[in-house]
Amino acid sequence: MLVGSTSALWAQMPLPVVKRAHPFVNYTELGGLFGRVAYPTFAGSPTEQVENKVSLTIQSFNGVQLQPRLAVGGVVGIDWYANALLLPVGAGLRYDLTRATLRNVNVYVAADVGYGLTWLNKASTGNELANGGLMLNPGLGLRFGKPGHGAFVLSLSYKRQVVDASKPLGGNDIRRDEHRVYNRLAVRLGCSF
Amino acid sequence: MPLYLFLSTAMNRILYLLAWVPLLWLSTACTDQCTETRVFKQYTSIALTTTQVRQGVGVSSPQPLVKPGKIYTKDGYLFINELKEGIHVIDNRDPSSPKQLAFINIPGNGDIAVRDQFLYADSYMDLVTFDISNLTDIHEVARVQNVFTQGQFDGGWWSYQSTVANALIYDQRVDYVKQIVQTNCEATPALQPVWLASSTFFSSASSDMTTGATGGSSGTGGSMARFALYDRYLYAVGSSDMKLFNVQQPARPTFSTTVSMGWGIETIFPYKDKLFIGSQAGMLIYDNSNPDQPRQLSTFSHARVCDPVVVNGNTAYVTLRSGNRCAGTTNQLDVVDVSDLLNPKLVKSYPMRNPYGLGVDFPNLFICEGAYGLKSFNASDPLQIDRNLQEYMEDLQAYDVIPLGSVSGQKVLLLIGQDGFYQFDYSNPARLRLLSKIPVSRPDLT
Repeated sequence: MLVGSTSALWAQMPLPVVKRAHPFVNYTELGGLFGRVAYPTFAGSPTEQVENKVSLTIQSFNGVQLQPRLAVGGVVGIDWYANALLLPVGAGLRYDLTRATLRNVNVYVAADVGYGLTWLNKASTGNELANGGLMLNPGLGLRFGKPGHGAFVLSLSYKRQVVDASKPLGGNDIRRDEHRVYNRLAVRLGCSF
Repeated sequence: MPLYLFLSTAMNRILYLLAWVPLLWLSTACTDQCTETRVFKQYTSIALTTTQVRQGVGVSSPQPLVKPGKIYTKDGYLFINELKEGIHVIDNRDPSSPKQLAFINIPGNGDIAVRDQFLYADSYMDLVTFDISNLTDIHEVARVQNVFTQGQFDGGWWSYQSTVANALIYDQRVDYVKQIVQTNCEATPALQPVWLASSTFFSSASSDMTTGATGGSSGTGGSMARFALYDRYLYAVGSSDMKLFNVQQPARPTFSTTVSMGWGIETIFPYKDKLFIGSQAGMLIYDNSNPDQPRQLSTFSHARVCDPVVVNGNTAYVTLRSGNRCAGTTNQLDVVDVSDLLNPKLVKSYPMRNPYGLGVDFPNLFICEGAYGLKSFNASDPLQIDRNLQEYMEDLQAYDVIPLGSVSGQKVLLLIGQDGFYQFDYSNPARLRLLSKIPVSRPDLT
């Protein structure tokens, strides 16, 4: 009887809440990179071709809440461009513009900077990626959810990724390289906790 | 309201507004920018008279390197070809401070070979012999006229018909053109399909050949050379034949025979008493036990040739390069087992960027990647060469190398590229130590 009541008592008592100084923060998002490219029809041509581009992006931000409004951490993602599969890794911050404790919908500013790794890429012979490059990703987001609970996230940001690729050498070529700067609008949906 | 509170809320509002600024970039910023930089060769036809070529021979004071070609070394002296212009003579007895001694003007020169104190150089259609016993007084001592009928320098062809009266030498000048183009970021130009080769072989003089079989001492050329000295003969490979010059009297080479070999001949590699000839049609093996009459033994018609090879023991290392008149559009290193000379077998192929010459001082294998630098491999495991890249020097250009082995306590590697002549100490092949550099005054390539 005593044992039963002791366990029942423990079940009813609220567990002490340990308030951590810097709780863990995660934002995981999935979306698209939208943009376009304009290029001359052939070298020296006055006419221009424009193609629209859509690429898949997945990203995970993992960090700590340094201040009530500011979270800082590391960012890892996958960007699947038409001719490059990149793994950007870097650091990022998420800064709330509105006070999260008061509302259920919040606006935040996100800023990431990193380096795009080319380990995952597989290219046709002669078209290998020579180097990854700098990744920049500033933007804004909306977070829907009660404070202290998990939330849905919708973000809109500008993503810039630099990559160097090689091209196969033709008959009279000595050297042939391509320097790419991807400038895209990233629209992502995800969740955070 | 307290001032700090007012300021912080105002700042928050401004930040809130500023945060929307990135969206203004939408219309201009979301465009990918991909630029392709391409450097390629352009050819222009020119003509020369035989008088210009023959009377253009002479010796002058040292000149700066402008467009270096092949390298040759003998007894601490270096000869660096200046493409179609002549030969730089350099005292390299101290590799950390090479001294330029003189420049021999030889119009149409591309290859060099040295036997004893005599230097053989081609000059378009002639073979010229120089006495280099006294380097302060180099002079022409003999000339075999009208032996070569055509050739190529850096992709540009020259030809001469001696049978036509007052014939001119028709040549092509090569210029490097740089083109910058916007691309769509996605194009993956495919390499043209090439025949699969079951055995490949090619080459030119290897640094294994340092002394002739009987008398006379020869120097060492790089893997890109077309001249080879063996026994009492100088073998000079042309595009459809091989010319033999009897150099039993080194001061006076005499033209001996022409061995006709079909088409697309590029390289020659004497090995023991055999000759391996690389051509576009296949690999030809000649028996050279009678050096003045090489006899064809066999042909392997599935060979793909064109580029240099070096041999160490039973393994041959061959580089194949695109942009060559020979094979297709592949860039790779082939490792070939030649333990059975009549049946070479491809061991493995490794993709490369744009390989030119190569050199081996086992287990070190050096591959020149043209505009893309120099790679130093440990080739002790022929199946894992690409995983044993010891060092990759990307910020220099590499056309050909000669690993000299031990020279006064250091292991000296001679390297020639479009941007200069380098000497490295490769005692630690994972960290090549620069000993000296003779820069090219106006490098064509960037």
